[in-house]
Amino acid sequence: MDVVAILISKTILYAVPLLLGALAGMFSERSGVINIALEGIMIIGSLFAGIFLSGAIATSGLAENAPQLVVLITMVVSGLAGLIFSLLLAFASIKLKANQVISGTALNIFAPAFSVLIIYAITYTGNSKIAFPDLVNLNSASFGIDPASMANWVNTLLFKNLYLTTILSIFILFAAFVVLYKTRFGLRLRACGEHPQAADSVGINVIRMRYIGVAISGFLAGIGGFAFATANGQVHQSDVLGYGFLALAVMIFGNWKPFRILFGALFFSFFSSIAVLATTITFLPSFGLVKVENLYMMLPYILTLIVLAFTSKKSRAPKAEGIPYDPGKR
Amino acid sequence: MPKDIKTPRIKGKREVPEILLTFTSAFLAIVAGLLMSFILLYILEATKAESNFSLPGQVFNNFVTYAFKDVPSIIKVLYNAAPLILCGLSVGFAFKAGLFNIGATGQYTVGAFFSLIAVILWGFPWWLAILVAMITGGLWGFVPGYFKAKFNINEVITTIMLNWVALFFTKLLLYNLPTMRTLPPGNRTDPIGFHNASGLLPDLGLKELTGSSFINIGIIIAIIVAVIIYIVMNKTTFGYEIKACGHNKEASRYAGIKAKRTIILTMIISGGLAGIAGAISFLAGTIQFTTDSTLLTMGFNGIPVALLAFSHPLGIIASGLFIGYLNVGGQAFEGVYSSEVTNIILSVIIYFSAFTLIVSQFIRKKFNRSDDGSGKGNIFKKITEKIISLFKKKEDVVIKDEEEVTK
Repeated sequence: MDVVAILISKTILYAVPLLLGALAGMFSERSGVINIALEGIMIIGSLFAGIFLSGAIATSGLAENAPQLVVLITMVVSGLAGLIFSLLLAFASIKLKANQVISGTALNIFAPAFSVLIIYAITYTGNSKIAFPDLVNLNSASFGIDPASMANWVNTLLFKNLYLTTILSIFILFAAFVVLYKTRFGLRLRACGEHPQAADSVGINVIRMRYIGVAISGFLAGIGGFAFATANGQVHQSDVLGYGFLALAVMIFGNWKPFRILFGALFFSFFSSIAVLATTITFLPSFGLVKVENLYMMLPYILTLIVLAFTSKKSRAPKAEGIPYDPGKR
Repeated sequence: MPKDIKTPRIKGKREVPEILLTFTSAFLAIVAGLLMSFILLYILEATKAESNFSLPGQVFNNFVTYAFKDVPSIIKVLYNAAPLILCGLSVGFAFKAGLFNIGATGQYTVGAFFSLIAVILWGFPWWLAILVAMITGGLWGFVPGYFKAKFNINEVITTIMLNWVALFFTKLLLYNLPTMRTLPPGNRTDPIGFHNASGLLPDLGLKELTGSSFINIGIIIAIIVAVIIYIVMNKTTFGYEIKACGHNKEASRYAGIKAKRTIILTMIISGGLAGIAGAISFLAGTIQFTTDSTLLTMGFNGIPVALLAFSHPLGIIASGLFIGYLNVGGQAFEGVYSSEVTNIILSVIIYFSAFTLIVSQFIRKKFNRSDDGSGKGNIFKKITEKIISLFKKKEDVVIKDEEEVTK
C-alpha cells in the first residue's frame, strides 16, 4: 500500500511542472506563437525563485511566521521573471517577425548560461546551484492535522510531496480553461492563433493579443520552473532536465486543450514515476538485465509515441502558429 | 538599346543579392554578441567586492586570441568543429525540408554508442564503425520521419521523446555489456586503444609532429560530407524535392513529388549525419561514453550551427568552425569568470541572427532610396553596388538595366 501511495504522490509531484509548462505552451501557441523557449523560461523562473527564497529567508522574519505566504510570493516572483524573459521572445517573434524557433532556441541557450553567471556573481564559486530553504513543503501540521490520527499510507499519499504549487496548479488549470473557452478574451486569443487576418478584420488587435499570449505563457512557465525545482529536491541547479521540452510534448499530446493536457501530464508522470521506483517495486520483472530501471525509464517516452500514433487523427495544431502576423496577407 | 544612354534609376528597383544580406546579418549578429559579452564582463566585474576594470579587457582579449595562440589550440578548434559541423548539417538538412530535428542528440547518442560497439566488441576498423553509426543514426531518424509522414505527428515531439529513449537505451546496453566497460566502477566505456587500435580515427602521423592528441581526420570527413550534402541539395532532383517540400508541402505534392517519401528520407539522412557526428566524437579516443543520466549536448549544439549558417551546407562548415573557435576560446574565461560566457555570446548571436528579415528590409530600403536627382547619390547605395559588382559579372548588370528600361 505504501508503494502505491508513494507512486501516486510522486506522479502528482512531477505532473505539476509538466502541467504548468504545457499550459504555458498552450497559451502561447493558441495565440499563434510557437514557444520552444519553455525550457529556458522555466530555468529563469526557477533561478529567481531560488534567489528570492534564499534572500527572503535571510532578511525577514516572514519565513518563520508565514512560510506559505513566502512560497506564494515566490511563485509570483518566478512567474514575473518568466514573464519578463518571455517578452524577449515576444519582441523578436511578434514585433520583429523573426523566426520563432530561432529566437526560442536563443533563449534556451541563454537561460542556463545566465543562471550560472548570476550564481557566480552572487557566490564567486564554481557553484551552479541554489538550495531552497526548508520551508516549502506542506505537511499535515500545516493543516493542523495530527499525523498519528491517520494511516501511514494516507499520510504518505497526501503529505509526502505536497506543495503550495500542487494545490494552486489545479486552480490555474481551471482558470486556464475558463479564460480560454468562457471569456471574450479567450475567444479572441484563439482567433489570433487560427486566423489572425480574420481576427484583425473584426477589430481585434492581433499584435497585442499575441503579446499577452506569450506573457501569460512566460508567467506560467516561470511558476512551472519553480515547481520543477521544488519537485527535484528543492534546489535550483541551472537546468530543468528537459522538462520544458517535455512540456511541449505534453502540450501536443494534450492537443492544445487544458484537460487533455492534464491527462497527458499525469500519464507521462505516472510512467516515469514507475521507472524511478522500479528498484522498490519488487513485482516488476527484471528480464535478467542489470540496471533494469533504464528499461522502464524508456517506457513513458515510448508509450507517449504509441498513444500519439493512435490518436493522431484528431490532433490539430492552431492553424497560424509559427507564422508572424502579416496584415497584408489573406 | 545603346549602352551610352543613361538609364533612369529612379523607378528601377534592384535586388540586393541574398548572400550579401545573409552575410551582413550574420556579421552584425556576431558583432552584437561579442559586444554584449564585453559589457557583461564589465557588469560582472562591477559586482565584485574589489573591482579591477582592466581585467575584463584582458580576459576578452585572451578569449579572442586563445584559439590561435599555438598549434594545439588550432587543432582543438578543428577537433571541436568536426562533430559540430556534422550535427549542424543534420539539423540544417531537416530544416530545408521544413522539419525541425531537435533529436540530433538522440541520433548522435545512438550513432556514437554503436560505433563503439562496432569497434570494441566486433573489432571493426574506424570507417566501418562510422558506417554503423550512420545506419543506426539513420534508423533513429527514420522513426520520427515515419511518424510524421504516416500519422502526421509533429516531429518536434517524436524527436524529443526519442532523445530520451536513446539515452536510456544506450545506458541499458552499456550496463549489460560488461566487456564494453572499464574496470570498476565501470561507469564508462573502455578506451578504444585497449581493444582495437584500428578503431581510432587516423591522425595521418601528425600526432607526434604536433604533440596534440586531438588531431584526427574528423574535420576532413566533416568537410567532405558537407560538400556532398551541398551537391545533393543544390544539384540533384532529390535536393529540389526536399526544398519544395519545405516551402510548400501541398504544392509539391501537386507537382508530383512524393512528399511522404521525401520526409522519411530526409529524416533518415538527417539522423545518419548526426550518427556520423557521434562516431567522430567518440572514435577520436579522447572522450568516453558514460552512464550519466544527462543528454549529450552535442546534438543540441548543432541547432545554433545550422541557424547561424541559415542551413546552407557550406555555410555550416564556417559556422561550425566559428562555434568551435568560441568553445575553445571559452577556456579563457575559466577561473576568471565562467566559461558559460561563451554560451551567452552564442545565444545573443542566435537571437540577433533571427532578425535577418529586419536587417534585409533595412538594407533594401536604404538601397532603393534612389538618387533624387540632386546628383549627390547615396553613399550606402554606392558601397552596396560596389560589393554587388564584385559578385556579379559586368554583363549581367547591363542586361538587367536594359530590362528595367524596357519596362
